[in-house]
Amino acid sequence: MTELWELSAEETARRVRSREVSAVDVVESALARTARVEPLIHAWLELFEDEARERAAEIDRNPIGPLAGVTVALKDNMNVAGWPLTCASKILSGYVAPYTATAVRRLIDAGAVILGRANMDEFAMGSSCENSAYQVTRNPWDLGTVPGGSSGGPAAAVAAGSAALGIGSDTGGSVRQPAALCGLVGVKPTWGRVSRYGLVAFASSTDQIGPLARDVRDAALATGILAGPDPNDSTCSTRPAEDYLARIEDGIEGLRVGVIQEIDASTFDPASGRVWREALERLQAAGAELVEVSVPSLDAAIAVYYVIAMSEASANLARFDGVRYGRRAEKADNLLDLYLASRSEGFGPEVKRRIMLGTFALSSGYYQAYYGKARGVLERMRQELHAALEKADVVATPTAPGAAFGIGEKTDDPLAMYLSDIFTTPASLTGLPAVSVPSGLDDRGLPLSLQLMGRPFEEATVFRAARAFEFQGSFRLAPTFREAG
Amino acid sequence: MALNIEEVRKIAALARLRFQPEEEAVFVAQLGKIVDYIDQLQRYETGMEEDTAQGAFEAEDRAHAYLPREQFLANAPAALDGFLLVPEVKGSDD
Repeated sequence: MTELWELSAEETARRVRSREVSAVDVVESALARTARVEPLIHAWLELFEDEARERAAEIDRNPIGPLAGVTVALKDNMNVAGWPLTCASKILSGYVAPYTATAVRRLIDAGAVILGRANMDEFAMGSSCENSAYQVTRNPWDLGTVPGGSSGGPAAAVAAGSAALGIGSDTGGSVRQPAALCGLVGVKPTWGRVSRYGLVAFASSTDQIGPLARDVRDAALATGILAGPDPNDSTCSTRPAEDYLARIEDGIEGLRVGVIQEIDASTFDPASGRVWREALERLQAAGAELVEVSVPSLDAAIAVYYVIAMSEASANLARFDGVRYGRRAEKADNLLDLYLASRSEGFGPEVKRRIMLGTFALSSGYYQAYYGKARGVLERMRQELHAALEKADVVATPTAPGAAFGIGEKTDDPLAMYLSDIFTTPASLTGLPAVSVPSGLDDRGLPLSLQLMGRPFEEATVFRAARAFEFQGSFRLAPTFREAG
Repeated sequence: MALNIEEVRKIAALARLRFQPEEEAVFVAQLGKIVDYIDQLQRYETGMEEDTAQGAFEAEDRAHAYLPREQFLANAPAALDGFLLVPEVKGSDD
């Protein structure tokens, strides 16, 4: 018999609305599942079980929302009034959110039940979730591997059946890459599609909130709820939200899928190369037309991304100074000393590394050579991708260069870790919507994924393509990990 | 370009970070390697592109009433009479 925690978000909400099941039973099922799997995966920083039960009871009195009774794992960088928020950093210990992020408010208004705060790389900086100051989260597909990052907590929670939906933030791939490594669907909406109000800023020009889900329909449903105008974020688009499920089953007959000629599959590991080629064949079998496109600056994506994102991070993280919120160093003789001591004690090594790089790229004498140069190459990449999306309706790439890697495997080599983001950073830098969808398994049985990028605000097309691909592959992601506990 | 220890110290001072000597040595090596990688950007000719940076503001940016000051100050490590409390500024070298 299917347990309630195994149901999709869409099916859960349907049953709760029709009173076939109660939201209370859904939440109890998720909490019981969590009690079994959490000691193995360490996805959560804090669970609010009683609050979740109360919320579920409230929903049962009036079960109407599109996410009625759907359980959610929320990345710990979005404010929920009255809850702590740490960004998995020591520097924010003690902080209690004074207000609720718009994206979170929309989920709650839709009937979702947020179970708690899920783990992440500190300040969303990392690709493995190993940079959390609190705990290392493990991939439910193989406990010896990382869940990806930075939204590794929500990814592991959803893949293990601890929650039906994960909500993360994606700055250079932080939703898509963990979704790929955990066999989930991950969405990075168009920049400006989802309000950033209440999301702790990392790199403001690329930060976007997006969902992680067990199938494309759930991902589309959640994106439609997160999206929409917000008077509290003036960079959020004023376009109304769309129902991304409306035409999601229309298929991709005649849809042009761009394949970037600069991607050399012979450099992939054999399994990734095989799954990538099969993915393109499956798109064709589903009726898509493959067209070759050219993005010569793809090679520079990581360099451009790290200059721009770290520059913005160095400015955004200047606010954590031991004065306004969070942790203050105990011993400081004067104000400068207070800043130095609070920040040096509070930030972890990766955050310091990125602040240092950003400060360097923006510093006098280097600004033009690094920040200025990166902006120039970014502009070129934008033109190339826009040209590609004139020839094609969507552009396909793998999501990540390979499947989940071992815990500790890349922690000593920051650059190797950064290279995990080669395929995800272009959509981030250029603001395009992108969806990661599972495409197959490698030789160890670990998931690999396909990324589809679309034109700005054409999420609906990307979801339609992802759905046709998912359907064609019949690669159904029931929560594995059944034997856990 | 290679970064030396003096440059790393200068950047740390700008970034308001302080490192132990052993941390400094690790940072010089790691940052140097990353900057070497980023130097590949110099291969690209740029300058002619129009910068169409994201961040076009679509909605009106209008001031409005917000949460009470006390609610924000509740998160401050130290506050007094509606103000943030800090150690003396005197003695700082800038």
